[in-house]
Amino acid sequence: MTEISQALPSGSAMPRTKTLSEAVFAWLLIGPAMLFIAVIVAWPLAETIRLSFMDAGLGGEEYVGLANYQELVESRKFHQTIIRTFYWMFLSVALKLVLGLIGATLLNAAVPGRGLFRVLVMPPWIIPMAIGMFGWLWLYNGYFGILSGTLMTLGITDGPFEFLAYKQSAFYSAVVADVWVGTPMVTLFFLAAMQGVSRDLYEAAWVDGAGRWYRFRRITIPQIMPVIVSMSLLSAIFTFNSFEIIWILTEGGPRGATTTLIVDTYKTAISNFKFGEGSARAVIIVILLGIFALLYLNVLKFVNRKYGTK
Amino acid sequence: MNLTKLTLGAALLSGVAGTAFADGHAKELHFIMCGGEVREADQAVVDQFIADNEGVTVNLEAVPWGTCQDKSLTLAAAGDPPSIAYMGSRTLRQLANNDLIVPANIPEGAPYQPGVLNTVTIEGTTWGYPHAFSTKALYINCDLVEESGQECVAPTTWDEMFTMAQGVVDNTDAAGVGLAGKDFDNTMHQFLNYLYSNGGVVIDPATGENKLDSQQTRETLEFYGRLASVAQEGPTAWERDQLKDLFNDGKIAMYVQGPWGYGQHNEDINQLVAPVPAGPSGESGSILITDSIVVFKGSGNEELAQELAQRITSGDAQYDLDSSWGLTPIFDYSAMGKDDLYYEAGVWPNFTASISTGGPEPIVEDFKSLQSVFTNMVQGILLEDDTVDNLVTIAGEELDDAL
Repeated sequence: MTEISQALPSGSAMPRTKTLSEAVFAWLLIGPAMLFIAVIVAWPLAETIRLSFMDAGLGGEEYVGLANYQELVESRKFHQTIIRTFYWMFLSVALKLVLGLIGATLLNAAVPGRGLFRVLVMPPWIIPMAIGMFGWLWLYNGYFGILSGTLMTLGITDGPFEFLAYKQSAFYSAVVADVWVGTPMVTLFFLAAMQGVSRDLYEAAWVDGAGRWYRFRRITIPQIMPVIVSMSLLSAIFTFNSFEIIWILTEGGPRGATTTLIVDTYKTAISNFKFGEGSARAVIIVILLGIFALLYLNVLKFVNRKYGTK
Repeated sequence: MNLTKLTLGAALLSGVAGTAFADGHAKELHFIMCGGEVREADQAVVDQFIADNEGVTVNLEAVPWGTCQDKSLTLAAAGDPPSIAYMGSRTLRQLANNDLIVPANIPEGAPYQPGVLNTVTIEGTTWGYPHAFSTKALYINCDLVEESGQECVAPTTWDEMFTMAQGVVDNTDAAGVGLAGKDFDNTMHQFLNYLYSNGGVVIDPATGENKLDSQQTRETLEFYGRLASVAQEGPTAWERDQLKDLFNDGKIAMYVQGPWGYGQHNEDINQLVAPVPAGPSGESGSILITDSIVVFKGSGNEELAQELAQRITSGDAQYDLDSSWGLTPIFDYSAMGKDDLYYEAGVWPNFTASISTGGPEPIVEDFKSLQSVFTNMVQGILLEDDTVDNLVTIAGEELDDAL
C-alpha cells in the first residue's frame, strides 16, 4: 500500500493506474474467501437446487421438473412435519430464552461464588452433543434410567416409564434435551449484555423508588433487547436444524412423532438414497429459513430504532 | 529458474515412478465388516490370505450395523467403493440394480441349507456369498415362570404363550414377554417370526406379488396387540438386542432371539429354548436371514476380492465361524463330510427345525421403505393408534409403493 501511495504524483494518467491496482489488490484479498464460499456453500446449494428437479438415486438421475415439489405439496405427512418443526422450534426457543434470561439474571446477581456458577452453566454447551445425548438416552430409559426410577420412588408412577416410547412424551423429552443443550449459550450472551448495562441507570431508578421487578422490566429488558432478538434468531435457526439430538434419541420416531424437516430430509436423501426428493426438502428448508431471516432483519431494524442502538 | 524447473520435474517424475511402483507391488483391499467387530474365524482367513498373496494388504474396517450398510452404499454411490463388504443380504437388490456389485462365483452344487441361496439370488443371478445364517426361537426364563406358579413347559401355540406371559405379569414384578418395536430393522424381523408362524407371506416368491394384506397378517398384528398388554414397558423404545439385557435382569420372562442368545444370557438363568409358537393359521416358523459377502464393482481389485470372498465362505472357514459364533448352520455340513456337528445337540434342533418351515427376509430394492412399512404397522398397534384392519390395509398399500 505504501508503494501505491508513493507512486501517485499529480498527473492525468496516474489515478487510473491507482484505481486498477487497488481493484486487483482488493480482488486478491477477497478472492480466496470467495473461492472458499463458492466451493463450500454456493456449489452445494446450486447442486441441491438442480437435484431437486431430478429423480436421483444410486443408479443415476432423470429430470422430473416440479414433480418432487408437487409430491411434497400434496403430502399430508409433509404438512404435519412442517407444523411439527415449527412447534418444536417455537417451544424450544421460548424455553431457552426464558431459562436463559432467568439464568443470566441469577448469574449477574452479586452473590458469593458466582464465578463458579458461571463456569458450571457451561457443560451442556461444551460436552460433545453425541455424548450428551447418550447420557439423556440413559436418563430416559424406563428400566435403568434415573428419571423413571425417581418417579417410581416418589410413587408418581407404579412402574417403569419409557419416556421415548410414546409420541407425546418422546417429543417433549427431545425438547427438554434440546433446551438443555441450547440454554447455556443464550444465558451467557444475555449475561454479557446485562453486564454492559450502565449501573447509573439502576442507581437512578433505585433512588426514584423503583423496585427490582420494575428495574428489570423497564431497564434490563429494554437495554438487552437487541441481544434478545439476535439470540432468538440464532437459536431459532439452530433449533430448526437441530439433527443430532433427535436422531440419537428417537431417530424421528415413534411413528414420526419427532420427525422434523431436517430429520425427514436426512432420512429421505441419505438413508433412503432418494437424493432428488431429499434435495427438494432441503430447498424448502432454505426458503423457510430465508423468510424467517427476512422477518428477523425487519424486527431487528424496528428494535434498533425503538431502543436507539445502531 | 532452470534449476527450479528441473527440481520440480524430478520431483514429479519420482512421484509418478513411486506410484507406479506401488501399484505394481502393493494392493490394498478395503473390507467393510458390518457388525462392529471382526470375528476370530474371519480374521484367521484374512491373515492367511495376506500371507498367501505377497504385496496384498486387507484394510478390515468393522462398522456397527446401524450405520454400516449406509456407509458401504454411500461409498459405492460416490465412486469410491470398498473392494468387499459383509452386509445384510437385503441390500443386494439395491446394489445389483444400481450396478454397484459383481455377481458371486459360487461353485455349483455347494451344499447350502434349503432357502439360503434364495436370499442372495435375484432373477437367476447370485449376487452375494452367504456368510451368516440365522433362524430364531423363543427363549424362556423358567425361574420367572416357576416363580409365577406355572410349570415351565414350552408353549406351542400363541394362546399358550399368552397365558404363560399373563401368568408372569399377574404373579411377579416382571413382564411376560419382550417385544421389539423401535424404528429399527429387527422390529420387522421380529414381526415376521410371528407372521411366518401363522402361515403368512409378504411377497409371493413365484409372482413377486404383494401378499401382506391378508387374514394371516391381521391375526398376527392382533396377537401383537394382545402381547403388548403383557410386554415390557414401552416396546417402541426397544430393539431386539436390547431385550437381552432385560432378559438377563429378570425383567422379561421370554423373547425371540437367534441362537447366539443362548451364550449371551446369564449362566444362572434356567433358560428353556423352544420354537416360535404357532399361530391359528400356520405352523411354527422363523424368518430366515442371511448376511453376505459382496464384491463391489470399480474398486480395481475385483479378482482378488472374489478370491477372498470364496475363501472366507468356503466349507472349513464357514464351519469355524458358524460353530464358534453360534450361527445356524449355513451348509449341510454332514454332506461335506463333517462328523462333529455342533448343531445336532442341545438347543440347536429348535433353530434348525424352522429352516424348512421359515420364510425369507423380503428382498426389495428399497429395503428402508420396506422396513418403514412394518415399523409403522407394528408401532401403530403397540401405540393403539389405529385398528388392526386399517393398519394392515395401509401397510399393504405402502408396500405396493415400495415394490
